[in-house]
Amino acid sequence: MRNMFSDAPRTTLTAFYWAFLLYLLLPLTLMMAMSFKDANFVAFPIGDWTLDWYAKVMQDKQFLEACLYSVMIAAASTLAATTLGTWIAMLIVAEGIKGQVIIFALACLPAVVPGMISAISMRIFISTIDMPTGTAAIILGHTVHAVPFVVVMALTRLRSMPGNLVDAARDLGADSVVAFFRVTLPYLGPALVGGMIFCVLLSIDDFVRTFFLGGYRPTLPMLIFAKVQGGMSPEINAMATLVLVVTAAVGLYAEYLTRRARTR
Amino acid sequence: MVSSNTTAGYAAGRDASVPRYSTGIAKVVNSALYRHTLGAAVESRIGRIILLAGVPLIWLIMLHVGPIYQMLKISLMSHYPVQPGVESHFTFDNYAIFFSESLYFTPLIKSFIFATAATAITLVVVYPVAYYVAKVVKPEGRSKALLLLLVPFWAGELIRTFSVIMLLANRGAVNVLLREIGLIDRPIPMLYTSFSLGFGLVYLICLYMLLPLYSAIEKIPSQYLDAAADLGAGPFTRFRRIILPLSKDGIVSGCSLVFLTCIGVFATPMLLGGPNTVLFPETISGFFHGASDKWPVGAAFALIMLVTALITAGIFMRLVGGKKRSAF
Repeated sequence: MRNMFSDAPRTTLTAFYWAFLLYLLLPLTLMMAMSFKDANFVAFPIGDWTLDWYAKVMQDKQFLEACLYSVMIAAASTLAATTLGTWIAMLIVAEGIKGQVIIFALACLPAVVPGMISAISMRIFISTIDMPTGTAAIILGHTVHAVPFVVVMALTRLRSMPGNLVDAARDLGADSVVAFFRVTLPYLGPALVGGMIFCVLLSIDDFVRTFFLGGYRPTLPMLIFAKVQGGMSPEINAMATLVLVVTAAVGLYAEYLTRRARTR
Repeated sequence: MVSSNTTAGYAAGRDASVPRYSTGIAKVVNSALYRHTLGAAVESRIGRIILLAGVPLIWLIMLHVGPIYQMLKISLMSHYPVQPGVESHFTFDNYAIFFSESLYFTPLIKSFIFATAATAITLVVVYPVAYYVAKVVKPEGRSKALLLLLVPFWAGELIRTFSVIMLLANRGAVNVLLREIGLIDRPIPMLYTSFSLGFGLVYLICLYMLLPLYSAIEKIPSQYLDAAADLGAGPFTRFRRIILPLSKDGIVSGCSLVFLTCIGVFATPMLLGGPNTVLFPETISGFFHGASDKWPVGAAFALIMLVTALITAGIFMRLVGGKKRSAF
């Protein structure tokens, strides 16, 4: 059946795909390659390879502290967003509750509002409730940002769940809370782990919310922003490469998990 | 339904109202603390509803709607943060400022031009890629082909922006390469221009277009295309009459997502743009730094941007999609 498509468009499309992939990967590959170069600027061929920049980055106390701070914020906001997102998704699929469409729309609101405006409105909000800028405010901002994604992922999984699983648990005497923790939550498990990793990446990557809600302690994106504003340097290359490798590995793992969840 | 035999077996030798659990959860469920708090709450319908809806509704109203509401409220105040001795009163002046100066007006227009252009370019470039992965690649290879495209997505906004700087800077890869070949003597200034900003934006957001388009195109049954081909439709007719109309949902959600993301990008224009490409987010941010008395103006500007962006996306959805749909 497939040879129905004549060969010319197929070849063109294949070439286009690889060209597009090259476009996507070239800048990043270049960045990674230059992180091994011993000179201070871009040049070809790379010539002498070195790991000096990595050694320098690994000793950079500011960088390590920023990493730690980012990871801490990501962990806290992910935990909060996953709990809230699952809870909201449970409310949306619950029987006998009116206005589910409105609840869903409200849950998705932060995903539709452009990042800059979401950051500004959060900045105004924390000032109206007399909350100082800093760690707590950043975590709050990141949580609001991540909740819609958890809701959508949990909903997709919940809608594919056979309804009789919970009914069976209830017949056997479990109350709603027990049925949730013993039946629904394990069923949601893989989707939630995938969603959590997505939240972590979202939080670690976020710049604009942190910029408006944070204090003087820089997160990873803020540190990179400050360094990039200072101009090109192989040290940034090494730093960015390290971050890229770690986040890509984590992202790949999340992709694997959600894929497995979908096929199971 | 559980057979009566099993039920009888389960019920034998224990209080029928207390379920038996095989694991440690029994300790929790049967503890006095649980039975007097959560356990008691789920007994009644009201208790169950409060347990299910309480926290989510408070969160949604407080933190999803609250910030936007507060922004609206402050945009209508003459002073904020309120200082002692200064009375704040209701006013529309903050909105009037926007229309009074082209200094404020132009960045919004520019933001819209950049976001629209980036959306259009992304659609045209990514569509063939999405089509290729969804329909040309064999089903076994699809997830691999898709995964390869997702790799840069994990790099994050700032790292990708930085890699674009590496490529386009005066001492960046493109200029160095052109000089090595001998095509140019002096570097072409590409960074800090509209070109670098457009390039960077497209690079940043093209993957948001890929996934909605891919899932829409993948859903089109291949038999439709085979049938059309049997009836004599060429590749172009098949594309125009079948693939394009049936992937409309993907186009609508992909374009809205890309447009709304693009308009709210803050760091990339600051790093890749120049003095001629000041976009609206940068204008807004100016009101929140330095003299803090300008917060109401910043709030009003942010709302103007939010409303115009959502209206634009809404009009687009109506025009192309025909019916209202959420961004997901």
